[in-house]
Amino acid sequence: MRDLVLSMIADGGLLAGMPYSLAAPLVMVAFGALVVFGFVLPIAGVTSWLERRVWARIQSRIGPNRVGPQGFLQWLADGLKNLLKEDIIPSAADKWLFSLAPYLVVAGFIATFATIPFTSSLIIADLNIGILYITGVTGIVVVGVLMAGWSSNNKWSLLGGIRSAAQIVSYEIPAGLSVFPIVLLTGTLSMQGIIRAQGWAPWDWFFFYNPFTFVAFFVFFVAALAEGNRTPFDIPEAESELVAGFCTEYSGMRYLLFFLEEWGNLYVIGAIVTTLFLGGWQVPAFTDNQTLLTVAQFGTFFLKAYFFVFLAMWVRATLPRLRVDQLMTVCWKYMVPIAIVNMIGTAAWMLLVPEALGRMVQIGMTVGGGVVVVVFFRRVRFHLRRANLQPSDYYYSPII
Amino acid sequence: MSLGGFDVQVLRENGFATEEMTLNMGPQHPSTHGVLRFVVRADGEIMTEAVPDVGYLHRSIEKISEKVGYHGFMPYTDRVDYVAAMPCNQGWAMVSEKLAGIEVPRRAEYCRVIASEFNRISSHLIAVGTMGMDIGAFTPFTHALREREHINNLLEELCGARLTFNYMRIGGVAWDLPPDFAEKALAYIDRFEPLIDEYNALISFNKIYKERLVNVAVISAADAINYNLNGPNLRGSGVDFDVRRDIPYSIYPELQFDVPIGTGEEGTVGDCFDRYMVRIREIQESCKLLRQCLQQIPDGPVLAKVPRKFKPPVGDAYVRVESARGDMGWYCVSDGSEYPYRVKIRTGSFTAMSIIEKVSRGLMIADLITVVASFDLVAPEVDR
Amino acid sequence: MAGYFANIQETVTSIFEGMSITFSHFVRRPFTVQYPDKIPIPIQDTLPFRYRGILEVDLEICTGCLACERACPIDCIVIEAKKDKQTKAMMLNRFDIDIAKCMYCGLCSEPCPTGSIHHTSQFEGADYSLESMLRRFVKTPVAAYKPSKGPETDPEIVPFLDRGLRYLDDFAKPGGSSEPGGADAS
Repeated sequence: MRDLVLSMIADGGLLAGMPYSLAAPLVMVAFGALVVFGFVLPIAGVTSWLERRVWARIQSRIGPNRVGPQGFLQWLADGLKNLLKEDIIPSAADKWLFSLAPYLVVAGFIATFATIPFTSSLIIADLNIGILYITGVTGIVVVGVLMAGWSSNNKWSLLGGIRSAAQIVSYEIPAGLSVFPIVLLTGTLSMQGIIRAQGWAPWDWFFFYNPFTFVAFFVFFVAALAEGNRTPFDIPEAESELVAGFCTEYSGMRYLLFFLEEWGNLYVIGAIVTTLFLGGWQVPAFTDNQTLLTVAQFGTFFLKAYFFVFLAMWVRATLPRLRVDQLMTVCWKYMVPIAIVNMIGTAAWMLLVPEALGRMVQIGMTVGGGVVVVVFFRRVRFHLRRANLQPSDYYYSPII
Repeated sequence: MSLGGFDVQVLRENGFATEEMTLNMGPQHPSTHGVLRFVVRADGEIMTEAVPDVGYLHRSIEKISEKVGYHGFMPYTDRVDYVAAMPCNQGWAMVSEKLAGIEVPRRAEYCRVIASEFNRISSHLIAVGTMGMDIGAFTPFTHALREREHINNLLEELCGARLTFNYMRIGGVAWDLPPDFAEKALAYIDRFEPLIDEYNALISFNKIYKERLVNVAVISAADAINYNLNGPNLRGSGVDFDVRRDIPYSIYPELQFDVPIGTGEEGTVGDCFDRYMVRIREIQESCKLLRQCLQQIPDGPVLAKVPRKFKPPVGDAYVRVESARGDMGWYCVSDGSEYPYRVKIRTGSFTAMSIIEKVSRGLMIADLITVVASFDLVAPEVDR
Repeated sequence: MAGYFANIQETVTSIFEGMSITFSHFVRRPFTVQYPDKIPIPIQDTLPFRYRGILEVDLEICTGCLACERACPIDCIVIEAKKDKQTKAMMLNRFDIDIAKCMYCGLCSEPCPTGSIHHTSQFEGADYSLESMLRRFVKTPVAAYKPSKGPETDPEIVPFLDRGLRYLDDFAKPGGSSEPGGADAS
């Protein structure tokens, strides 16, 4: 980032002659605004459309497909509709906290984008405490949710808010503990540092590094889903129980901001998981052209992160939700001990396992991962065969 | 017990002053299976009591019968339980026939049983689908409803309507089976049976789902009998009673079928999972019954001669029918005129509401939804 | 302790199985029918013959017997039929069906002797005005139909009568007799 700013000052144009201490914040703010309005908000909106389409195909239906080609503009229509709705604040609710809550939630999630590494040079601020910053700043979301639930002056919202606070605070622990193996391996908390410690090939990723990081990946992903209030942990906004949980009393754009945060958070989860476990933007150096390489890196990172968004949607369509006490049991009795074991195991692995054996384990685990994928597709084929489908019952295209 | 009053109890435990919350799970709620209301007193998440409040869907159906007469009441019986309307039709037809001593032709009885069993499958599909949806799994609901649409298509060819069938008449049924109905129905059942296994693999044996259902709201056999539970609710508690087999009517004595009961396979006998699995197994049993009926159906008339001005002799009659929701009782008092003097319908959902108060003590609020879904309550049956 | 690991293992396998089932649905055809624009034939042609849609009366073959009005359990049919003193013919002055009240039970079409009142396959009756829900079939008073002794010969009436009798033929015959429809046998 520093190089980019310096080259922009030297080139002339808008920033000619400015001292670095003035130009750097300006560029960062401009870039941040670009990222937020040009990337984050549209991604959150498009994710909502994609979720509805993915859900629908899983449920033998067609999702929204009327507004724009294949319904692609549905999220714009929903956003516009919500902006035009009447803004209802319940008379007995705490007006200031009620109005403030959605903004805190959205602020907490947008602030994480300051350290998401899109490519090797495109990152708003490569903090040397990158991952710790993200963990900290997503805590603002808890405050916002609790504020929303409590200030609504509605017992159901209160229940939803309190459940959510308990859930998010509890699941911070396995999430944080699962980051530790990675930090141990790389020795740095910075996002770019973690990516640079991995390679582009699957056997160089931390995902397949040793069995402990493999399990840490799953623990982290499940904990991140829980933090994002996604099924199977969507008790706070349980649609069948509390109507909409902590956001029952909200209407119009305030309501949509909560969901914007939920969908956008999916991308943040995907981005963090990609950074920590899947090698981030690493691509093989197939060309000398910097622009092409940057584009390839951006595409790789985006696709990997978006795969996890898709995975979260797929999981949400499949699984029922856990009850509050079961949620807590899973966190404290299963995930925290496993995360601690991962941490100790990774430390022990680093000390005891020689390089060559570690390399063999990496390659072995990559092959194992491939075997799991093959077994998965064989199960899919089994289910398709068992369902006695006629050839006309198959439809492969997502376009309908 | 106070219904809706503000009754704040202050509990002092360990020096903490805690209050109970009174919550209203109101008539408008996404998952109370119709307009039902519960007044819940909860200490945090754990309920101390959940009192049901019924009557939001009362339509005086029983009183309407005194105005429209015996023939005219048949479409109203559809609305008593619109999810499983055929057994309701059958109940009313049977009680009128019992009053007047009319014998129904055999082919008509077979048509009635075919229609009732198809309706039982579609009603149980709704039951298991909404159970999944209330627990949070949205996909099994849509899959169950997709299969139900096929059954609706078949019944639409049979009688012209998809929900409120009005298929049966006093003395038989209104339409004979269309020419290609049997082969379409058999083709559908062949296609449908493996999908039940797929449904089970998707949700019934899912660990999270089992955790939500197992050992929740255990109802012992003695309690089930004392509180007058019926149908799958009763059989889920291990009591082996089915009106079709034990107090047989129509042509059920000629058919072979098993009666699934709850065995506590994953937890205790009588928990929500048992009631749920009884319904899944009943779908499979209904498929068996349908195959037998479609193969054994004799030829002949499907409607007996019944006068248009139907005047049964003075007297009363009580008939029990195994509806999808349990033992449905139809009681009719006739004073010799064209209009019944009094009709009383006794439904399985109404009695299931009475046990909710007992069973909900100590459960969490999320479990109340599970319990209501496992009883397969429908509001029109509760209130009529 | 064994239960601990068994729980984890069962969770992983059942979630794996469930997710493979939902993944298999990505290649299955959605069940939705994109009505009304993306269907190959009009939806009314896909409905079965017995479909109980909105009621319709063919006044050409209505005999004015009022059997349908008596049979209706919800009083949605209002008929005025009077014998004209001069011509001695039964005149139909009014035949109103309120399709908002109608519960589409089919009890009116069964006792009709000619099948003039029948259910169509129309179900798209939604409208903005409540008055349009009251279908008035008699614009000017017409004479009721007198069924002829032998087969009907009037070419204007024959198609209606054929259709009506085919509709009635579909109903079950009481006692297996060859009398048309479920007409009263008392």
